Amino acid sequence: MKLNSDVILKVSALTKSVKTDAKTLDILHPMDLTVIAGDSLAIVGASGSGKSTLLSIIAGLDLPSSGEVFLKNKPLHQFNEEQRSAVRARHVGFIFQQFLLINSLTALENIMLPAELAEMDNPEQLARELLAKVDLTDRAEHFPSQLSGGEQQRVAIARAFISKPDILFADEPTGNLDTKTGSHIADLLFEINKQQGTTLILVTHDPKLAARCQRQVTMESGQLTETVTDEPLGTEPLVIKPSLSTSL
Amino acid sequence: MSYWHKHSLRLLKHELKRGELTIILLAIVLAVSAVFALSGFSSRVKQALTAESSTFIAADRVLDTGSVIDPTVLAKATSLELIQAQQIQMSSMVFTDEKMALSALSAVSDTYPLRGELLVSPSLDASEAVASNSPKSGEAWLEAKGLRQLGIALGDSIEVGVMRFKVTGLITQIPDASFSVFSSGPVVFINNNDIQKTELIQPGSRLSYKYLFAGDADNITAFEQWFTPQLSDNQRWYDIKSQNSPLARALSKADKYLSLASMLGIVLASVAVAVASRRYSQRHQSVVAVFKAMGASKRYVSKLYCLHWSLLSVLSISLGLVVGYLILNLGLYAMRDYLDTSTTGNMAYPFLVAIVTGIICAFAFAITPLRELVQTSPMMLLRGRDNNAASSLFTRLMSPLPSLLAIFTLLYLFSQDAVLSAALLIGGMLVALVLLVIGRLFMSAGRSAGSKAGKSWHLALANLKRRANENAVQLISFTIAIQLLLIIVVMKNGLIDDWQQQLPDNSANRFLVNITATQVEPVNNFVDSLGIESSGLFPVVRGRLTKINNDQVTKRVSKEETKSADNGRRGVGRELNMTWRDGLPYENSLIAGSWWQPEDTRALVSIESTLADKLAVEIGDNLTFQLGSEEVLVMVSSIRKVNWQTLQPNFYMIFNQHVLADFPATYISSLYVPDDATDALQDFLTQYPTITLIDVDAIITQLRSVIGQVSIAIEFILLLVVLAGSLVLVAQVQASMEERERELAILRTLGASGRLLRNSVLFEFVALGALAGLMASIAMELGVYILQSRIFDMPGSFHFQYWLLGIGAGASFVGLIGLLSCWRLLNMSSVTLIRRTM
Repeated sequence: MKLNSDVILKVSALTKSVKTDAKTLDILHPMDLTVIAGDSLAIVGASGSGKSTLLSIIAGLDLPSSGEVFLKNKPLHQFNEEQRSAVRARHVGFIFQQFLLINSLTALENIMLPAELAEMDNPEQLARELLAKVDLTDRAEHFPSQLSGGEQQRVAIARAFISKPDILFADEPTGNLDTKTGSHIADLLFEINKQQGTTLILVTHDPKLAARCQRQVTMESGQLTETVTDEPLGTEPLVIKPSLSTSL
Repeated sequence: MSYWHKHSLRLLKHELKRGELTIILLAIVLAVSAVFALSGFSSRVKQALTAESSTFIAADRVLDTGSVIDPTVLAKATSLELIQAQQIQMSSMVFTDEKMALSALSAVSDTYPLRGELLVSPSLDASEAVASNSPKSGEAWLEAKGLRQLGIALGDSIEVGVMRFKVTGLITQIPDASFSVFSSGPVVFINNNDIQKTELIQPGSRLSYKYLFAGDADNITAFEQWFTPQLSDNQRWYDIKSQNSPLARALSKADKYLSLASMLGIVLASVAVAVASRRYSQRHQSVVAVFKAMGASKRYVSKLYCLHWSLLSVLSISLGLVVGYLILNLGLYAMRDYLDTSTTGNMAYPFLVAIVTGIICAFAFAITPLRELVQTSPMMLLRGRDNNAASSLFTRLMSPLPSLLAIFTLLYLFSQDAVLSAALLIGGMLVALVLLVIGRLFMSAGRSAGSKAGKSWHLALANLKRRANENAVQLISFTIAIQLLLIIVVMKNGLIDDWQQQLPDNSANRFLVNITATQVEPVNNFVDSLGIESSGLFPVVRGRLTKINNDQVTKRVSKEETKSADNGRRGVGRELNMTWRDGLPYENSLIAGSWWQPEDTRALVSIESTLADKLAVEIGDNLTFQLGSEEVLVMVSSIRKVNWQTLQPNFYMIFNQHVLADFPATYISSLYVPDDATDALQDFLTQYPTITLIDVDAIITQLRSVIGQVSIAIEFILLLVVLAGSLVLVAQVQASMEERERELAILRTLGASGRLLRNSVLFEFVALGALAGLMASIAMELGVYILQSRIFDMPGSFHFQYWLLGIGAGASFVGLIGLLSCWRLLNMSSVTLIRRTM
């Protein structure tokens, strides 16, 4: 059993429901999840199964209706927006399906942004190193609209890693790309992830991409099930549902 | 430099370069430049016009008083660098060795007149007249009728009081000559240093001292503010506008129009800023969400956007001032032939007003969108929309508050009238609400009509219906913009028509006074022979109102009160000129009672309405008049509203024939004498030397020129307001661009042809524009009616011809702007469209 200090993300009895006019809609049913630092976890599931809602809560973008979320031992569920922003700035990186670069900033400036927000030294130098890593040195001064989809996602990857996050959340990172570019982007993502030893939480439809993660969990109608792989890749397999018990 | 500074500057720099801030920048630039140009221009026009029309009172301000004033007043005026002149006026007998006449004696100082020209000819040839100030000591100048009446020539002598004067000049034009056709005898000018030597000023003498002041507008105002609180009951302080003259009324209406146009221009420009700042906020939502997802706090984002918006505002306001300055000077240059713009205009005022407007526009209209912007949740990155945007009803109701407050402040700044501003604002809000409901109904109706029309129309109307909410907002701004433009156009034309009606080309330019009963026939024959237009002959009987019912009149109206309230017209308290008529005169209308039948044998009088109010006289009251040695008791049978602006003899009291027909009367008539008939008139008058001629041709010409200038100034202002209105339309169309881009991408992908898409976009905007035009026309009628009846004191009227203009201009302008704005999108390939919208 791992020590608490190695656990980067711990979710217990987390639920999310929204009130509509007439009734309350449960989007996430009670669930637990524990992720060890350095792991890669894929969350798979059909559209509307609640994957993105879960991602938004564990990344500190949204709050659960009940339950607890600890990220780097910080109780996100008790934090206000500002405190969660501070956690994101220090520990979290994002990659989105739609790249979400800021159109009016150049590739270089987009990459520098998280480092600057985290007040790191030499953000420009770091950004240039990462641009080289994603093979876009000559596109530093280009604006997103001047880049192809694959190039934009490479910039987004560089942006995600610049602040050396402890944990990286990737929401369908290849979803908007053709197969070949997608596969190239995935290689890049896993490669830099490995180099930096970042914990990776990946939301995807793509079974191939999910298979590249050490662990996979499936979301189905707001319920989370761990998929036990044939070859566990170094971490203890955890069965999350239905017992709600964890190995901790 | 901290990072929020850097990020702010970086965003601003790139966005400016990439043209993403063009619309908001243009909106503020236009608001500021329009306000600058409008306020600068209208204040310049007012200044120039007032300066020109001040020639009618020979000064910028006049103090009319019964006694000499304290020298400290004059010292104060001197300290404010005002130029001054004095004039002492009295009625006095003038003698020659053989004849005498009651003259209007005017003793003027060497600086007279301060404005306008006193034209004096050294010979009997009027064309040799030159601008002059005052006669030298011992000399006198007379009008032609004075020379005629006294039977003297230039070089002869006259006696005024105990002093002898040599007549050295023929007066051909007096700047502050009385408008009154009943003014007494010929004018005699002498130097005011001679007045003491005449020994005419004795205790109890009835004379009036006029102190004339002129100078820089600010100094005049400062002096006025200092002096007017000290005014005593027997002193009257006036400028050209407080004179009850046709010119003063024309000026006052022009003044109101210019203020109204400026106010509406400002409202339009601020609507443009409001629309553009909403769009600015929407466009930046995803940027804020990314910043927040990357860990930026709300405070950080707030600071970043405060700086971003402030810098943008400062840049736009500065640009606006430069553009406004250029437009103003361009306008003044274009009008240099029509308007004397050489007077030093006060540039500080438009600068100040424009900056304040810019700041109010930039902050008040942006505060709600900006507040919403910094509240953007990073969740929108995952969901594509901001769930937190669904704020409470209270917040939503409160959110337009800063904008409404800002509009109110701007309106108040310009009108200085809180009630008017609030009325305009609340009225505007109600109209907007009604428009919203009607607009939605129209759009629903359009959808069913569209299903029977062609494919493009069908798509266009379906689009209208589907975006009913957004379109309703667009519709309101289009409607308000078109409505305000229509109001400005309609009021402009109405005002100019109104003036032209008052001064038609053949309006009377000569008055014949003192026509005796025996001269009536020759005068009628003369007028008929030349075929010139005339008001007909009015008998004039002079008399004094002595009693109202059983009250002595002097108890109710003192002489001074009458004088001050009456704005200089001869009225009650002294002799009145009265007439009798069988029918109601032209441009007189009854507001109470009824007009008599010619055969009525009762003793009746019809009284002018303002005098009736002042005397608190009602229908059925009995008035007693002293006519010569006889007392006449008459009953008030009607109260008349008189249009004093008509150049025809007008009377406070009109009797029926039964009362006055037997009293000896002289007659008066007004004529339009064309240039080619003036010689014939002179010949006629030499046969009847006792008839007095009053020539108002010069005054009318000057009045026409002033009105012509105001009309041109108004056209220019209209152009600026149209510009502001167009920007609202552009900003509003631009605001829907992203949504349209997405839709076009989808339709393109589904295989819609370029022609279908182009037509559907065109038709959608045309339909929206036409609908806005129709609603604007209806709203315009309401607005114009209120303005005409409440503010401009004009009769209300309908303007169906402008409905076509509203609908046509709305459809074509909105259609064109819409199509042009979408043109780039429409010509993009499907792939580019799809990539842009992903």
